[in-house]
Formats: sequence, C-alpha cells, structure tokens
Amino acid sequence: MKNLNIFSVFILGLALLATGCHHKPSSITPIPGSQGPSGGDNTGGVGPGTAVPVEPQVTDKTQGIPINLNEIFNHPYNEDREKFKNDTVYFDFDRATIKASEESKLQDVANYFKSDSTDALIVEGNCDERGTEKYNLSLGERRALAVREYLANLGMDPQRIKTVTYGASKPVATGHNEAAWSKNRRGDIVFITPK
Amino acid sequence: MKIPLKIVFTLILASSLSLRAQDHPIEIRKDTAHLIPIALRGFTGEAEEVLRFDLSVLGMEITEPADYIVSGRNDGQVQGSLTQTGMQRPIFARAYNGGSTRSQAHAFANDIVKELRQTAPIFQTKIAFRLKQGNSTEICVSDFDGAHAVVLTHDGAMVDSPSWLPGGRGLLYTSWMHGNTAIYEHNLATGARKVFAGYPGSSFSAEVSPNGQMVAMILSKNGSPNLYVCDIDGGHLKQLTRSREEDSSPCWSPDSREICFVCRSGRAGLQKISVDGGQAVPVHANAYGNLTSPDWSPDGSKIAFTSGSRPFTIWVMPAGGGPAEKLVSGEDPCWAPNSRTIIFAQERNEKRVLCLLDVPTKHVKDVKQISGSCSEPSWAR
Repeated sequence: MKNLNIFSVFILGLALLATGCHHKPSSITPIPGSQGPSGGDNTGGVGPGTAVPVEPQVTDKTQGIPINLNEIFNHPYNEDREKFKNDTVYFDFDRATIKASEESKLQDVANYFKSDSTDALIVEGNCDERGTEKYNLSLGERRALAVREYLANLGMDPQRIKTVTYGASKPVATGHNEAAWSKNRRGDIVFITPK
Repeated sequence: MKIPLKIVFTLILASSLSLRAQDHPIEIRKDTAHLIPIALRGFTGEAEEVLRFDLSVLGMEITEPADYIVSGRNDGQVQGSLTQTGMQRPIFARAYNGGSTRSQAHAFANDIVKELRQTAPIFQTKIAFRLKQGNSTEICVSDFDGAHAVVLTHDGAMVDSPSWLPGGRGLLYTSWMHGNTAIYEHNLATGARKVFAGYPGSSFSAEVSPNGQMVAMILSKNGSPNLYVCDIDGGHLKQLTRSREEDSSPCWSPDSREICFVCRSGRAGLQKISVDGGQAVPVHANAYGNLTSPDWSPDGSKIAFTSGSRPFTIWVMPAGGGPAEKLVSGEDPCWAPNSRTIIFAQERNEKRVLCLLDVPTKHVKDVKQISGSCSEPSWAR
C-alpha cells in the first residue's frame, strides 16, 4: 500500500464514482403539461380550481332515486338507438353493479348531456336466460336503475332517465353459453328527443 | 270466451247410498302417496280420453288388474260407476246431464277423485299462461288440461305474469304495449282493458289475494323494485319493502294476511311479510342455489318454489320453513285448488311445455300441447 501513489487514488476514486449507488438518469422524458423532472408543481399551468355548486342527488342509502319523470316522456318523442349504441353497459351474472370497466361509457353519455338539457334517455335493463321470468324482470329493472343512478351521480337529471325492464325476453345473442349470456346481461341506452 | 254450462247430475241409485254404510264398510285407501291402479271399462272417444287423462293427473294408473273399476258408457250422456274390486255393490253410480260430453266426463272424474283422494275437484277449472310463438308473446286461457285454449291479447307487445281476478272474471297481467312496463286489468266477458298500475318506473308481477280484495305487485317508483300492496280497485297503495336490492315474485298466504316473495340479499331467497307491513322474515329451506317463484298452497301447508338456474328444479317445503323436497325439473309452480296438483313449465327441446304434477306420487302429465312455448301458468282458484 505504501506504493499507492496519488494518481492511483484518483483513478480509484473515479472508478468508485462510476460504480456508485447513486443513479443519475441518462435522459429525461418530459411529461406533457409538467414543468420538468425535478419536482415543480405538476399543475401544467392550471390554477387551483374553484368550487362549482352541485345539486345534491337524493340518493337514499336504503333505496334508489324516486322516479318522477320529466314532461318530455308524456308527449310523442323520437327514439334513437344508434347514438349511444356503443355505450351499452354490461353486467356480471346475477348482479346490477356498474363495473369499473363500464364507467367510461357512462361518462361519455353524461358528458353529452352536460351541454344539452332538452333531451332524455330510456335505459332498458336486460338479463341472460338463467333466471325465472319474474326474477329477471326485477333484475333487469335494477340494472336500468343502476345506470340511471350512476348517470345522476355524474350530474345528469335523473328525471330525464326512464327505466324499462325486459327481463330475458330481448336477447341479442342466442346460445346457452357464457359468450351469449354475457352479451345479454346489459343496459341499453336509448336517446330521446321531443318530436 | 264461453262460460261452461252447468252440469246437472242425476243420482240413479240413490238408495244405494243408505245401504252402502251398513252392508259394505268400504275401506278406501287413505295412502295418498301411491299410484292407484284403476280399470276403465266401457267408455269411448272423448269421454274415455278425458277420464283417462283426469284420473292420471291425480296419480291413478289406468290398468288391469286394478284396485278399482270405473265402468259405464257415454252414448248420449256419460254415466258410470266406481266399484272396489271384489265388491258387489259400487261405491257410487251416477249419470250426468247438461253441458258437453267433455264436461260430463270431467264431472264424473271429479266424483271419482273425491272418493279416492278426498281432494277438491279441479277438472272443470281454468288456467292462464304466457304463450310465446316466434317473437310474439300473448296471454292465453284454457281449461286446466289445455283444451279450449283462447289467446286473449293481440297487441304485438311483450306480456308476462297473468294472475286471475276473483271468480275468474278477468286477469291482471304485465304488458309493454305502451312502451313501459305496466300492469293491465282484462275483463274476460267484455274484453275491455284498463291500466291497473302504471306508476312511474316499472310495474309488474301482480298477484291477486285469495280473498280477491287486494293485489301484491312489484313497483320501482321509489327507486328500487320493491313489494307493494293495494286494494283490488288500485286504491290505498302501500309500500311493504324498502330494500336497495330487487324484490320479485310475490305470492299470497291462503288467509290473504301474508305475502311470500323473493328478496335479494346476496343470494335470492324467500321471505314473508305481513300485509300490514313490518319486518320481513326469511323462510328457510335446505335447497341450494337461488330460490325464486314461490307459490303457497291453498290449504296453507306448503310452499312450492323454483331453485337453481336454467335448467331449474321445483321443490316443496312446509309453509313455515323447513326441509324442502325436490320434486321435478321445471319452473314457475302454481298450485291447483286441491293443494295436491301443481302446474308448472318444463323445458323440452328449446321450448317450454306446461305439465301437471301430482305431488305425493311425483307423477307428471303434460297439458294438451299448444303450438308455441308456454310458461308462467296461473290456476284460477
């Protein structure tokens, strides 16, 4: 060790630095809207936001939202089954819960109605064939109501959403297997405009 | 629809009634759970066909040798006797007047069953059911055996859940004819219809109480499909359940004081609630799977229900809850007025047929085939 001269120590020091524990990223990928990688405020230049008044939905925990439909349903109206055809909500077997995978569809629907308040919806609840008819009528209605409640919680007027149940009587897929059943367990959303 | 003519039957051997008790202490087998072999002699055509069918429905096997002999003839009028094999004198002998040959044969069969099974007559009663042909569904009424079927509705709309009004004067049923799910009242004599329950949301699955004074149904007007009752004229609507989950399939106790229905809390199961409201209580059965579509027997002793998911099975249990017995594959059981026979729907080759089950013997007889798929039977009681 006596012969370890200063130069060797320097080289050793550099080597230690090069293999040290601290990582230093070799390149930075900027995240859109952010100030930069070193912290910043991550707001993309947007202010803190101001509170917007939201009408509280009467969602009784022991029941759903009572039905008192808007006048639009008492007069002739047009039904458009195409507009929200791709937003049909699908359900698990024997369940009426809105799954996480379906939420964005309902957000699409609610987004449309934020800027438009003269139109309405009918939600049609459907089941697969595996329940008795009376049971399926109720389950289908519960599914339609679940869609209605979810849309109401996104800001839609629930009285512009009518529910109808078809039980298992309007399958879109025949077949006695999960491939067919999963397509039939659904809430179809029909767009309503006054005539 | 024609109202059947009243049957007047003549007691030919009236004197035999007074002799019977003294000379021939007949021991009629009280054992309800066995098929009774019966010989059928002398009848032809429709009378023979009706007697054969009706007796079979109550667990009697037409065969020889037999425990009992039903003999007679039907030239002009149906007349016949019931005799225990080996006895000289018949148990009874009668001739039947009025109505059609078919009606007379039914009346004779009712008398035979009354002697051998001690049950209320059912062979001149009516049923209603849902008929599906292609894409259309309609409400149909017929004799209990499927004869004289009449399609009641022609709306080109979906229909469901027929339930008889008192005295068979009409039906309540669910229809989608005006684009929503509502309950209609249909007068059989005039064909007139009106909305019985068309509340906001969906209204469905109406059941008339045995005393004819109230109706139970499922309404979603308050945000969930829950159980409601009202008077037979639709007044005094009262909400009985308030659960977040869906309720379905109400049926009445024979005293019209309680309703048994399907409640979803986790798995679908049976509950009972007083018509005055209050807390619903579970009805426990040791059947597996979802329990749905209950029906309470008119004598109050049993509840039949559907279990599982398609294909279903029908079970029966004591009305107070307790061990349930599996009976037959099928769904939507409905008791006959005799609390012994059940009409139900059974899946065969992609369609459903109506069948009659003799509960103690588990003997099954198909109702006369109607073209199409038949389901949701309701027996006029």
